[in-house]
Amino acid sequence: MSLTFVGGSHRTVPIELRERLAFSAEQAAEALARFRTAFPGSEAVLLSTCNRVELYAADEQQQGPPPPDELAMFLAECRGVDPTSVGGVLGGDQGPAAVKHLFCVAAGLDSMVLGEPQIVAQVKQAWQIAQQSGTTGPLTGELIQAALRAAKRVASETAVGRERLSIPSVAVADFAAGVFERFNDKRVLLIGAGKMAAETLRYLADAGARDVQVINRTAGRAEQLAERLGGTARPYADLTTEVVTADLIVSTTGATEPVVTLETYLKLEPSRQGRPLVVLDLAVPRDFDPRIGQRAGVWLYSVDDLGQACEANRQRRQREMPAALTIIDEETRRFMGDLHHRSTVPVIEQLRAGWNETGEAELDRLFRKLPDLDAAARDEIRRAFDRYAAKMLHPPLASLRSESHTGPPHGLLDALRRLFDLRD
Amino acid sequence: MESAADGGGGDIIASIGRFSRPCRVVADRSRATLERFPLRVPLSVMAEFISRISVVCFAASYSVALGFEVTRLWFRSSVRGATMIGFVAAGLIAQTLYLVWRAATVTAIPLSSGFDWYLLAAWVLAAGSLWMTIANPRTPVGLFVLPVVLGLIGAAELSSREPFPQNPATQIWGAIHGSFNLAMSVAVVLGGLAGGMWLIQAGRLARKQAPLQGFRMPSLEKLSLWSARMIVVAAWAGGSGFLSGIILNAVNRQRGLLETVPWTDPVVLRMGMLVLWLISGVVISRAVARQANGRRVTAVVSLVSLCLLTASILWGVFGSTRHGVPPQQAMPTTAAGTDGGAA
Repeated sequence: MSLTFVGGSHRTVPIELRERLAFSAEQAAEALARFRTAFPGSEAVLLSTCNRVELYAADEQQQGPPPPDELAMFLAECRGVDPTSVGGVLGGDQGPAAVKHLFCVAAGLDSMVLGEPQIVAQVKQAWQIAQQSGTTGPLTGELIQAALRAAKRVASETAVGRERLSIPSVAVADFAAGVFERFNDKRVLLIGAGKMAAETLRYLADAGARDVQVINRTAGRAEQLAERLGGTARPYADLTTEVVTADLIVSTTGATEPVVTLETYLKLEPSRQGRPLVVLDLAVPRDFDPRIGQRAGVWLYSVDDLGQACEANRQRRQREMPAALTIIDEETRRFMGDLHHRSTVPVIEQLRAGWNETGEAELDRLFRKLPDLDAAARDEIRRAFDRYAAKMLHPPLASLRSESHTGPPHGLLDALRRLFDLRD
Repeated sequence: MESAADGGGGDIIASIGRFSRPCRVVADRSRATLERFPLRVPLSVMAEFISRISVVCFAASYSVALGFEVTRLWFRSSVRGATMIGFVAAGLIAQTLYLVWRAATVTAIPLSSGFDWYLLAAWVLAAGSLWMTIANPRTPVGLFVLPVVLGLIGAAELSSREPFPQNPATQIWGAIHGSFNLAMSVAVVLGGLAGGMWLIQAGRLARKQAPLQGFRMPSLEKLSLWSARMIVVAAWAGGSGFLSGIILNAVNRQRGLLETVPWTDPVVLRMGMLVLWLISGVVISRAVARQANGRRVTAVVSLVSLCLLTASILWGVFGSTRHGVPPQQAMPTTAAGTDGGAA
């Protein structure tokens, strides 16, 4: 009964090879069907994302699943890649190391963006494909369940996945949401059509923003963008009017000079009647004169400001790593303990069956010698025998359970087999 | 600190004779209630249980909850929120039972001493804190409200447990006066805390820092709305409380029922100043509402109001006054005080 994994991630496999080894959902299902034929009796789950390709295999039999080298060749063959080219880059592990690796992957600790949550859904999807392909079993089932449990614990007990890391998400959730309670009654003005505009507006839309005005020097581009983002295009000549009415401005133009200077803003300021203004200046060079940010009621954030906040968040996530790894170690020990205990089940069942058989034989002999016993007395004696058997079996079973926490209890199992004459 | 039984039960029965006729009806009711307890076993057990609740019980509960709240700043925990809510809820239940017991057993209008008044204010704030914590689990509401709750409990401990002097003719005005002052105090505390949180949040946003782990404040929009509304409520309640106090004093003086409180009494002065400040605060807030720094001004005004209320409470606790003191205990604090009534 053992577990093996083989694969590579963004850390170990160059993107050119990762692209060739990547499996779509259909390709994964085909590969798993092939696995079932090639390695009958073994269980397998194939996890393929844009950052990793990993095959987890398990077998309840004594000989275990195929070794990592064989699995690596299998992966390469499935994708039509020369097996010799993957030998040096695809790594693998067995037993607790394989389990710990999967738990780290599921918790996002091995992801490119530390703690990213999408990997949990990808692990679940990999499990579903394996289930549909008929390559799952009790071992992989428990393994995936335990991995999801570990990921959940890491997410809830540490801040590894808590802090935001992208500039648009930090801009909206950590800064704009610190000023405004709600966005569905706020007027959002998008100036320019920079690459971060759409993503920032997506976060704003998720937060409830509905009233979006788009301004661009090129009217056609503004209309195109407004249509795509569900906003309204405005002529560039209306810029100052729109700045007066806006509550939140996202500016992403490619202008080389500030689009809104301090002088311009000072002229507009009285018309705003003291309403707070959040400006997310995501353009480089900046579109808003930084001195505008010093005006009362104006919250101006440049790309650098937001980038520093992102970096601080990244460092906070990194600081949570030791706590996350402690959880992963705990869950790995727990899973391995349960797994080792599973291997003792046949011996325990044989032991119980033997005791019960002997007990039944003795009871029959006793009841034949005492034919006058009524049914109630017989039941009472039978229960006493059962209690006796349970109490006698308790110490060896407790020892087995305890020994399972540190590793497979082969010594104890052998001793029990020899002492009680148990056969496989 | 004493348990509820120390302020009621047998002592109350024994002290009934000390009070004037209007209090006797309440006292008789309390005695009757107490005498019924031995006849019903569950009730007597419950009464015994409630009578053992002391101020320490709920103060300790709130302190533990505050301790849990403080740990938000250092580490995350999946069970802390529920534990903290549990402790605040336990403290609130204990405090409710304590107040109910005092209301049922004290030989005067229920909850009509300085001690009870502070505990009632603490109860309202603790209930508000619990509600806001449940509604906004990621906001450290308790970190701001619970110290005020504990401060009010401390002020209660330092205040007299003797009921304010009462007369049937002025009871209703006394109740109105006390209720408005309670509403004003709670509104000032909530507004002041919202103002303080606004300044902290604005400071964080101005420094361009991401929110601290476990220290996510409400938005400036919400906080400025709260502080602006609370200062209006506080001004109305404070003005009404002060006016009802004047009427109460006038009735007492006109009918010669109880000793009147002079204009120069420290309590009258500090309450008058606070009400004046609150009214000025509303005017200032309205005047700057459409200015860019209007929200900051409102936040500062609310915070200053809270500081003035705190100073006023400290003055009331440690200073001497004729306000709310039975005639035989009135303290001659000012030369002019003996002649000049508030009304």
